[in-house]
Amino acid sequence: MALQQADLDEITLSIWKQAQNTADLCVKCNICTSFCPFSNVTELFPGPKFVGPQAQRFRNPHEMSVDNSVDYCSGCGICTLVCPHGVKVMEMNSKARYKLYRRKGIPLRNRLLGRSELLGMISSPVAPVANFFLGNRLVRIVVEKMMGVHRDAPLPAFSFETFRGWYKGVHRKAGRQRRADKKVVYFHGCSTNYYEPRVGKAAMAVLEHNGYEVIVPEQACCGLPMLSNGEFEAARRYANKNIRSLVDYARDGYIILGTSTSCTLSLKSDYQHILDIDTEEARWVSRQTYDICEFLLELADAGQLKTDFKPIEATLPYHSPCQLKAHNIGLPAIDLMEMIPGVKIKHVQADCCGIAGTYGYKKEKYQISQDVGRVVFDQVKAANSALGVCDSETCRWQIRQATGLKMIHPIELLAQAYGLNYR
Amino acid sequence: MGRYDAVIIGAGLAGLVTACQLARLGQKVLLLAYGHGALLLASGCIDVLGFQPASSIEPVTDPLSKLADFLEERPDHPYRFTGRDNIEAGLTAFQALVQAQGLPYLGAADRNWLLPSAAGAVHPTCLAPASLANGDLSRGGRMLIVGFPELRDFYPALISQNLNEQALGVRAEPLLVDLPPVPISDDQNVLPVELAYVFERPDFRRQVIQRLKGQTRGYDRVGFPAVLGIKRHAEVMADLESGLGKPVFEISTLPPSVPGRRLLEALRQLLVEADGRMIIGAQVVDGLIEAGRVSQIRFESANRPKVVKAENYILATGGIYGGGILTDADGGIGRVWEPIFGLPVMAETNRHRWFAPRFLEPTGQPFANFGVRVNQQLNPVDENKRPVAENLYLAGGVIAGADWTRGRTGDGVALATAAAIVKQITGRIYADGASAG
Repeated sequence: MALQQADLDEITLSIWKQAQNTADLCVKCNICTSFCPFSNVTELFPGPKFVGPQAQRFRNPHEMSVDNSVDYCSGCGICTLVCPHGVKVMEMNSKARYKLYRRKGIPLRNRLLGRSELLGMISSPVAPVANFFLGNRLVRIVVEKMMGVHRDAPLPAFSFETFRGWYKGVHRKAGRQRRADKKVVYFHGCSTNYYEPRVGKAAMAVLEHNGYEVIVPEQACCGLPMLSNGEFEAARRYANKNIRSLVDYARDGYIILGTSTSCTLSLKSDYQHILDIDTEEARWVSRQTYDICEFLLELADAGQLKTDFKPIEATLPYHSPCQLKAHNIGLPAIDLMEMIPGVKIKHVQADCCGIAGTYGYKKEKYQISQDVGRVVFDQVKAANSALGVCDSETCRWQIRQATGLKMIHPIELLAQAYGLNYR
Repeated sequence: MGRYDAVIIGAGLAGLVTACQLARLGQKVLLLAYGHGALLLASGCIDVLGFQPASSIEPVTDPLSKLADFLEERPDHPYRFTGRDNIEAGLTAFQALVQAQGLPYLGAADRNWLLPSAAGAVHPTCLAPASLANGDLSRGGRMLIVGFPELRDFYPALISQNLNEQALGVRAEPLLVDLPPVPISDDQNVLPVELAYVFERPDFRRQVIQRLKGQTRGYDRVGFPAVLGIKRHAEVMADLESGLGKPVFEISTLPPSVPGRRLLEALRQLLVEADGRMIIGAQVVDGLIEAGRVSQIRFESANRPKVVKAENYILATGGIYGGGILTDADGGIGRVWEPIFGLPVMAETNRHRWFAPRFLEPTGQPFANFGVRVNQQLNPVDENKRPVAENLYLAGGVIAGADWTRGRTGDGVALATAAAIVKQITGRIYADGASAG
């Protein structure tokens, strides 16, 4: 088809190109559909093949997406991983969702859920009040009616002290911060900053214990929540902000570490492959980014990780988030945690916990999300432990809410085993 | 990425079974694969030798007794390197593995089941999960073949008519039943795996049984498309048999294959329980051979290639169908290569000789035999039969001469090469769960 490129915005053009590149690799085997955790529990989502490579050939680049059901794709990405033919199914569907929202308009609810950073900035200073209200059943019912955020969805509590506040105020000012020749850059993400500073403190403690100076540069939300809620333009703005702030470190050879598997996946791959930021700067940042467990395990392989772990006698259930699987690095957290004497990890054998970032918060998708997660919840409960481990924040909140277990990041277990405790 | 005893590339039958055995024998293994493939496109049964000579339409009833004749006709086939011992050892090991996961496979090396296919043809196969083995045609009698109009590509009338015309001693009758309401998006065109999930719901099964009541009288057994559950398959089978008061069996469908998925889940679980590691979605980009040994491989992660090192490497990437062998052509000149290690391949360079004139040529398509030459140890060898890398082993369809479409030997090759490799590496034969380390 002859294409009038001038008429098309950049993203639409890239969708068209990508469709040409990989949709034709699809042989319609339906392996992706048979592994899709979502189409297997709801009739509202026909499955990745149907809305992806199959629908793609009917999507005229000059027109909007024809299919509403793509909104029920969670973006978990399992389709892309299981495809034996190299079709970028999830990437295709994420972009189709963007087109859908361009036509329908983005609901206020999606705009809000996409702005975890803004919500944090506003609420963290008044955390006790915000948490009080959001913990109130009546408030949640009103929020559901007005905003479409499900009343039972696992909203995390805001932290009064932000990670950045602690880092700048307590850690650095008190002169506790380690100075060293070996330096790494830490990308903490919104959840660590506003909800779970303890994860960032643990990361800091473990890295400093291993002789690293940790640099915490200016950073914005990684943009993924906006991306998955259809706000590509905003997501690209945030992405470019982060690239600008990180690229010099990357060029100088610093390793960029993250404790949030979805933030690091954005830096590694989504900026380029979904948001189409195809620049030298984006590639530099991508190349230097590591999941923190990936990095520590490489240190261990090289014999450079401290192993002065105190034994912890525990068998812990561990769920590997979809976003981590998309890193294609295996499950470094398991090997790392099992280096601690006494620790035995019980790896949950299920693909997705259902929350998929902000998907499971939405009123109309809450039940689907719970149905998807049931296999995970059952196995976590069966592990008979009061504590569970998972690398991704929203998955931790989902599993905690459904099972009552305390959920931690693997780095917290390491910090504990090292006997480190940053306050 | 850590250091492993063995890295296996490929998640088809050969790769998975090799990985499971090595892991159960105490090795630290990592399996890497570019997506899930082979098992979800297969019948879920284990074919060892179905037709001999290849042009024959008479199914083989005893695979082992025909092995010598077969190798005379196809001297380059991988069975030549594994021999009969490894075929038998491979089948025994496989049965022990899946038995441990509650997915028993029935049969033995010296006989074939004769199962009905989705086209009503006879599928000779050596091992079959109990639900499929129950459909064995040599048992005779009257069978009811049940289908659902919403499950396209499974036509009970076609199956019955073809079975009856072959005068196999069975009498088959078709029955189409409308599905009870299903929570599937396009409920007029459901996929086998989607339906299998729905069958795991007791209330759905009750409604199906209700709709079949009174229509099964006079039949010795009732056949369904292979959609009777995945993880709760045993429960679904038991429920239908007691509800209908008849033995129930399954017939393999078009892909994605539910029996193949059950097998994949069982092997995956087994690997995890044996502390094996598996990365699906990771494409292995290259391997380094230095001084006659593989020193490392690299696979593509989300942002950079990652290096993995191991004592031994197993290449189980399949032939041309699986992507283990790639081809390109410039006019009449064809290029055929093995993309990871660049191993020497046995292939025709004149592209005009890649294809036989007829699609279903009884002597097979020449390209289907393209692959890597091996020696008795299943190491790759060069033109002069010298090993290229002593710690690299080849399993399954990547080996030259393995064309599985002809003679139906694909699963046998996968299991026999797996057994041979396990013996090479560990000096042991995997026999049962008791040897798990």
